[in-house]
Amino acid sequence: MPIIEVEDLTKTYRVFQKRDGLMGALRGLYRREYKEVKAVDRIGFSIEPGEMVAFLGPNGAGKTTTLKMLSGLVYPTSGDARVLGYTPWRREDAFRRQFALVMGQKNQLWWDLPAGDSFQLHREIYSIPKEEFDRTLGELVELLGVQKLTRQAVRELSLGERMKMELIAALLHGPKLLLLDEPTIGLDVVAQAAIQKCLRDYHESRGVTMLLTSHYMRDVEALCDRVIVITQGRLVYDGPLAGIIERFGESKLVRLQFEEPAPEGLERFGEVVRREGPFADVRIERARVAETLGALLNQHALADVSVEDPPLEEVIAKVFEEARLAHDAA
Amino acid sequence: MTPPDATTAPLPRPLPPIQPEAPGPAPPRPALLPSMVKYARIFRVALIERMTYRSDFLLGTILRFLPIVTTILLWRAIYEGSGQTELGGFNYREMIAYLLLTNISRMFSSMPGLAGGVAREVREGTLKRYLIQPLDLIGYLLSSRVAHKVAYITMSFVPYAVLFYLCRGYFDGFPDPLTLLAYAVSLILAFMVGFYFEVSVGMVGFWFLEVTSLLYIVMTLNFFISGHMLPLDLLPQPWAGILKVLPFQYMAYFPAVVFQGKIRGTELLLHLGLELFWAVAFLVLARTLYRAGLRRYSAYGG
Amino acid sequence: MVPGVTRYARLMGGLARFTLAREMAFRGNFLVKVSVELLWMGILIAFYRTVFAKTSHIANWSEPDYFFFVGCFFALNGLIETLFLENCNEFAELVRTGDLDFLLLKPIDEQFLISCRRIDWGTAPNLVMGAILMIIALVQKGWVFDPTRVAAFFATFACGVAIAYSFMMMLTSVSVWMVRNTSLMEMWWLFSSLARYPREIFSGRWAEPLGNVFTFIIPILLVSNVPANVMVRVLDPGMVAWTVTVALASLWVSRRFFHVALRSYRSASS
Repeated sequence: MPIIEVEDLTKTYRVFQKRDGLMGALRGLYRREYKEVKAVDRIGFSIEPGEMVAFLGPNGAGKTTTLKMLSGLVYPTSGDARVLGYTPWRREDAFRRQFALVMGQKNQLWWDLPAGDSFQLHREIYSIPKEEFDRTLGELVELLGVQKLTRQAVRELSLGERMKMELIAALLHGPKLLLLDEPTIGLDVVAQAAIQKCLRDYHESRGVTMLLTSHYMRDVEALCDRVIVITQGRLVYDGPLAGIIERFGESKLVRLQFEEPAPEGLERFGEVVRREGPFADVRIERARVAETLGALLNQHALADVSVEDPPLEEVIAKVFEEARLAHDAA
Repeated sequence: MTPPDATTAPLPRPLPPIQPEAPGPAPPRPALLPSMVKYARIFRVALIERMTYRSDFLLGTILRFLPIVTTILLWRAIYEGSGQTELGGFNYREMIAYLLLTNISRMFSSMPGLAGGVAREVREGTLKRYLIQPLDLIGYLLSSRVAHKVAYITMSFVPYAVLFYLCRGYFDGFPDPLTLLAYAVSLILAFMVGFYFEVSVGMVGFWFLEVTSLLYIVMTLNFFISGHMLPLDLLPQPWAGILKVLPFQYMAYFPAVVFQGKIRGTELLLHLGLELFWAVAFLVLARTLYRAGLRRYSAYGG
Repeated sequence: MVPGVTRYARLMGGLARFTLAREMAFRGNFLVKVSVELLWMGILIAFYRTVFAKTSHIANWSEPDYFFFVGCFFALNGLIETLFLENCNEFAELVRTGDLDFLLLKPIDEQFLISCRRIDWGTAPNLVMGAILMIIALVQKGWVFDPTRVAAFFATFACGVAIAYSFMMMLTSVSVWMVRNTSLMEMWWLFSSLARYPREIFSGRWAEPLGNVFTFIIPILLVSNVPANVMVRVLDPGMVAWTVTVALASLWVSRRFFHVALRSYRSASS
């Protein structure tokens, strides 16, 4: 049975239109204008237990709104969702005990207290048995390497350390489902890697299901096999990570190293991205890669050749761009 | 429970970064006019923002009338109980008029959330944006506070007009133009005294992590010694004399008695001069504390 | 039911402990806070001593009776502030920043978590200060011990707390719809000014109906008047019964109101 099932989920907001200027503000005192904005537009998908799914989309695409509907914070305008067998917006305690939401930009620990104290409160709120709590906390603290920091006031921690504490707080009650909204935002590469490793290890040992949004493709590549892309509130892709490159990455990057300085006229094969001494990188349409390589080998002495997929960022940017164009045209 | 002036209402929301007024090479020193334009713009944005929150304002206004009603009723009960017509040189009508007028004084001199806001900015490290943007903290606070006050006074005009109309029986008509002028000056100076006093208190946040409690002491005391609760003349000597020497009387007592014509002639001029003196003194204090505080500033969080 | 109660009691204990720890981390400020309250009590006493130097009665309340009333309100409001005011005051900020989300995700009653999260230890001594003032007033009055009055006092005092809490919850809930709230502390100060004086000052042409409104329709006047009255003036069983009824009803109404507000927050947040 799927752990998340979403059908035709839609959320429309009524946005208060502020008028410009002083007179506008004065008039706004008496009459207000509203505009309807579709944040999420009839999306549907389902996620099986143990999956790690990335939820991608440009800013304002409706990712966070969807996560909030799945966690029961926001009522949908229409459509249905079942999460862990519950309707999230009924917010039964039994439901709320089984999942956690981590938001990279928000802070849920008490600012002035050591994180350890917040964890204790967490234990009370989620009624976690003492032994289980101690064991989980020990594991997590070790996993993230923050043994020395749990007694320090949260306000004195660095952003990366604070995020690790947030993650521990979210995992203490052993959630079956973990929703992560930009968990690594603003972190340096080392802290990012630590968070990723923690999530991966935790997934391996507990089989937790994860749905995460991130702007860092590194997170996505490191963690997720499956990708759901939404733009302008619509679902535009749902499938394996490799598939998205296949489908939207129309070209490959062919990196050539010649025996002599790279020759002129490589433009006839495709877009020349770089030409420097014996090196040249050429972007070539996927279907013509084999044929082009053959031609090149016939005409030139090559020292080395490699064929690469374009970087994921580029592919995703293209997906967003295409979806935007399609939307604008419609 | 202590009175609410020391409340921790948030500062006006951070403004979007201000674009330089004119492109091109910056003058070696900010010219006076562009910098005026800049603060005028902050003023406008803050004013628009204030006006947007109408329901908040409505509820706030209604609630603000409640203590006035209870105060009138309490003093009526006091005068009735005493069986006297005059207490401390005020008859019942003058007493109510005085207490209503102190509300006007406080409308100018009270700065809800100002000192607490400054202290919190220091504490949470958001102060940084004033160091990054070409913007002076105190100048920014002053323009947004003036905007806040202008919006507040404009919007309060109707409810207060209604209030004073309903309470017109407590007044003996309008004072003469010269008194009115002195009253206006005393109110503007009351604003300056109140503003720079609170900014100075807020600056203590540089040295004292959680400054809100200090604020409570100051504001609580201020509630009484400014004459907001009762005319200072009602207190026994030497207290009345002492409180009339301190700057706090200018935030409530002084403008009210000026309006009532209880201070006249050279005494009036002397006190206006003293009020100006205190405004300048607090201005200098605030600037000095700010400069000293920045030097030892370490940002919390990040 | 019972495990639920113990769970909430334990949680309350934990919260109390941690807030105390936090308060002690800023010990200097804690002491300052307590001295502020002491100062305010001093100001109140100075004010009423000044007034009672000129009169022997205010609205038929003698000086000791009146000071009992002042002590009663001081203690009651101190309790409200200790348990709820700071939490409710933060609510508007939680709504504005969206941090309320985290509280709503917890598997626990939202109203409990939002209104009892922190204990403001700085105002807890007000309860003691108010009690001392009440005792001094009773001694000065030459009050004779009467168990019925004491029982009625404690019962109506508890009801007063419940009614005041309900009004505070409603004022708090309103901040869901109003983007920036006049700080709740200020609203509470203004609103509770109704409960700060004896009901008898509401006399005369327009004031008497107003007094009735605040006794029967928006019954804020019951909060401190009824406990003070049953102790030092008239023990009116009808008024006690009415106060108990109002306390239960207002708790129910405020809870409903709070849930409506939350619902509206959740369909508006993004």
